[in-house]
Amino acid sequence: MILTEGEVAAIRRQAEAEYPAECCGVLLLREGAAPDRLLYPCRNIQDAKHREDPARFPAEARHAYYMHPDDILAFTRKADAEGYAVAAIYHSHVDVGAYFSPTDRRNALVAGQPAYPDVTYVVVAVDRGHAGEMRAFRWEPSAADFVEVPMGAEVHASDCPEKAVDSR
Amino acid sequence: MAVSVYIPTPFRAHTGNQAQLELEASDVKALLDLLEARFGGLRGLVRNEAGDVHHHVNVYVNQEEIGVLQGQATALRPGDEVTIVPALAGGCA
Repeated sequence: MILTEGEVAAIRRQAEAEYPAECCGVLLLREGAAPDRLLYPCRNIQDAKHREDPARFPAEARHAYYMHPDDILAFTRKADAEGYAVAAIYHSHVDVGAYFSPTDRRNALVAGQPAYPDVTYVVVAVDRGHAGEMRAFRWEPSAADFVEVPMGAEVHASDCPEKAVDSR
Repeated sequence: MAVSVYIPTPFRAHTGNQAQLELEASDVKALLDLLEARFGGLRGLVRNEAGDVHHHVNVYVNQEEIGVLQGQATALRPGDEVTIVPALAGGCA
């Protein structure tokens, strides 16, 4: 499965706690005989970006997330130092349902290619403060697009550089 | 003594999978010029055609984002660490 029951519960709690703002975070995975998983909640600083530069960041945190760069740096360094890789990136949608939006898609691409080719993107819906549906999406090379995958699908710690190169 | 550059996961396909580089540069602009010259695949990923750092990319010198320093004119000293962090962002629209 992409997320364990405990991880799903933790993400739901975070999404409800941060409502009416979108929440965000990542799942780190260290593969091996006994896979080691680490849920890493991150800060959404979209409101601060909006206040600083509303023209460039027109949406507020109710409608968008911008993961704190310090958090990205922290989990990237942890992953490098301890042999983890990013397996999933999650965020919530507030009062609109769980789907992979055009903004989600656009921001998941770097120069037209997926920034994290084999990472699963998880979106959880929060409706009037209560976490609901959770859906998962992953880059499908043959479709050159992100497609929905079952929440029961396997998750891979596959954004290691070697595999990232292979998938491009 | 060189400046240390930390390359983020999404860009490593363009640096031969190297996460850490040691380069000689006097400021951030010179460093990015050097990076793009050495690793052509990075061209366009960190900066746009006008030479400005993309707004979805954050560049840090040591622990400070260059936006609160002198931007690409931020001077570098031997031993400094430059980190490139592409944004993770999205939204419902």
